[in-house]
Amino acid sequence: MLGPGVPWYLAISVMLFSIGVAGVLLRRSPLIVLLSLEIMLNSANLAFVGFSRLFGEMDGQIFALSVMAVAAAEVCVGLGLIVAMARRNLILDVDRLTELRG
Amino acid sequence: MVFGSWVCLLAPLAGFLAILAAGNRITRVQAGIVSTASVFVGFAGAVVAFVDALGRDAEERGELTTAWTWLKAGEFQVGLELLIDPLSLVMMLVVTGVGGLIVLYSVGYMAGDEEERRYFAYMAFFVFSMLLLVQGGNLLLLLVGWGLVGLASYLLIGFHHERASAVAAAKKAFVMNALGDAIMALAFFLAIAKVGSLDFGVVFEAAESGELSDTVVALVALGLLGGAVAKSAQIPFHTWLPDAMEGPTPVSALIHAATMVTAGVYLICRTHPVFEAAPDVQALAAILGLVTLLVAGVVALVQWDIKRVIAYSTMSQIGYMFVGAGVGAYGFAMFHLVTHAFFKALLFLAAGIVIHHLAGEQDIRKMGGLRKALPTTNLTFLVGTLALVGIPPLAGFWSKDAILASALDGGGVLGWTLYVGGLIGAFLTGLYSLRLYLRVFHGDSSVEHAAAHDTHHGEGPRSMVLPVLVLAAGSVVVGLLNIPGVWHPFEDWLEPVAESLTHPSTGEEWLTSLLAVGVGALGALLAWRAFRAGRELVPDGSVRRTLEHKLWFDELYDAAFSRPAQAIAVGLRERFEEPIVRGGLDEVAEGTLRGASVTSSAQTGLLRTYALAITVAVAVLALVFLVVR
Repeated sequence: MLGPGVPWYLAISVMLFSIGVAGVLLRRSPLIVLLSLEIMLNSANLAFVGFSRLFGEMDGQIFALSVMAVAAAEVCVGLGLIVAMARRNLILDVDRLTELRG
Repeated sequence: MVFGSWVCLLAPLAGFLAILAAGNRITRVQAGIVSTASVFVGFAGAVVAFVDALGRDAEERGELTTAWTWLKAGEFQVGLELLIDPLSLVMMLVVTGVGGLIVLYSVGYMAGDEEERRYFAYMAFFVFSMLLLVQGGNLLLLLVGWGLVGLASYLLIGFHHERASAVAAAKKAFVMNALGDAIMALAFFLAIAKVGSLDFGVVFEAAESGELSDTVVALVALGLLGGAVAKSAQIPFHTWLPDAMEGPTPVSALIHAATMVTAGVYLICRTHPVFEAAPDVQALAAILGLVTLLVAGVVALVQWDIKRVIAYSTMSQIGYMFVGAGVGAYGFAMFHLVTHAFFKALLFLAAGIVIHHLAGEQDIRKMGGLRKALPTTNLTFLVGTLALVGIPPLAGFWSKDAILASALDGGGVLGWTLYVGGLIGAFLTGLYSLRLYLRVFHGDSSVEHAAAHDTHHGEGPRSMVLPVLVLAAGSVVVGLLNIPGVWHPFEDWLEPVAESLTHPSTGEEWLTSLLAVGVGALGALLAWRAFRAGRELVPDGSVRRTLEHKLWFDELYDAAFSRPAQAIAVGLRERFEEPIVRGGLDEVAEGTLRGASVTSSAQTGLLRTYALAITVAVAVLALVFLVVR
């Protein structure tokens, strides 16, 4: 097997996931939150592909492809929402979008 | 014959549906014409069937025609079938003939009413229901017609739905009739269980052959009698009929003359083998008839509403028919039904002209001297009154006396009781009929209706006068179909279907006629003398009060059934529904609300709080899995 071992890939995946979580939790701009979500999804993809390589089976790669498809759809909806918010002159700050408070 | 009877049955139904479908696209008058025409087409169909039947031998006049199997459950099978025989032909002719005249009369009477289309649709439906009742080829179809007649009467009695009293009267009629229907249905269940069929022939054969126990036959007969008594307004189910006068006058005429109340008599004649197998029940029918005819006769003496007096006279005359059917004189009972249909429709329609003329006034205390303003009505009403009293040669004379003669021929204690009671009834008939006639048409014109005269309609349009004249002519000639000792085509006509059990001799008949006319004329004379002296027939006092309250029947039923039912309902509501059903639901709803208000505080609306919660939860889960492993 060429290149670095699978644990390295997993380590990077964990790092990317943590960065994503930190982004979602700490940033207030919805655009950045969306971006962080993408990072988390892609970290998962990396883990999938890594395990796929480890076990020599294609399941992980297929999963990664489906995650990409779902991610694309999710971005469409997310960006659409943000554009709609901008059009209505809402403040783009997730901490102040609290209309749904119970 | 089959074709004619199908036309007869379906024409009024078609008329009903046509008016229903046309809605506002036809004018009110057109709706009236459609309704009238449909009933007269039905009459034409009945005549065609009748003429066809006349051409056959007496034994071949009955025909059962099945359209299709309507209901099938295992062994039990009911077809959509019509039975056309002399008995149903007589009823078909009366229902469509007299009914058609009444609908025609309505065109003039109801002119200007807001909801005429609805009225005419109901009228056609009423006639259809009654035809289904008399033409139904088995007991189940008969019951269907029976129920539809009740529905139609409910709709028409409550036609003036803006009047609370009309709605109450309609409900009363419906409840009473539904009670009768239910009793009858019980008898049918018993018949299905024991005989396995509701075909006339099969049930009759089982009743006659004696394979059923006496108790079963008696119960079935009792059930049939219960239905008949409720529909024909006999004691103890009679209280709905006087109240049914809330409907428009032609509706009263239709209920009393052509349809509805005669159904009970038809039922007894139709199912006579069952009654003959249970003689006690048949005697009970006669006794109920006798009690009704006497009670209705005395109550009619003190009523002030012109339509109510006629309504009580109907109860009384139906009582005679029950007496006739009860002693087994089916031919005469049906004969009285036919003659009664003519003169009772005549009386109601003539009374309708009076009411129309007086702009809705029905109190006979406010009438009088109308013979000058309404000469034709005066004459026809007199014909109807005399026919009712039984003065020869008018219709009532021939038919009522024949029933009494049959009771005499039946003999025994029962026969004599019925005979004497019937004669007393004839006396009462003379009293109340003449009282009504004289009060309305003779004496001084009262001051009260002077105002009405100014806007008077005269005797109304031709469509109102013509039916009255036809019915008056009928009241004169129909009775001639059966003259004791001379000829009796009517009785012979019904012979193959319902052979009479009694055969009064010519002597008995003429003796009875003499007596009946005598007491009837005596009653009329007394009424005339009282009227001349300006006295009421029944002096004031407790007797009069009792009669004015119709012998307290309404009060009795109110105390015995209505109040306890209400008390139970109120009790259940207060003790059970309010605290348990509603209270329990309230608790559940409050608990849900409280829980929701607690959990809703967790919804801060802050996106990042949710994200943190999810992250922490996932982390905790992951840790748990790692540790547990």
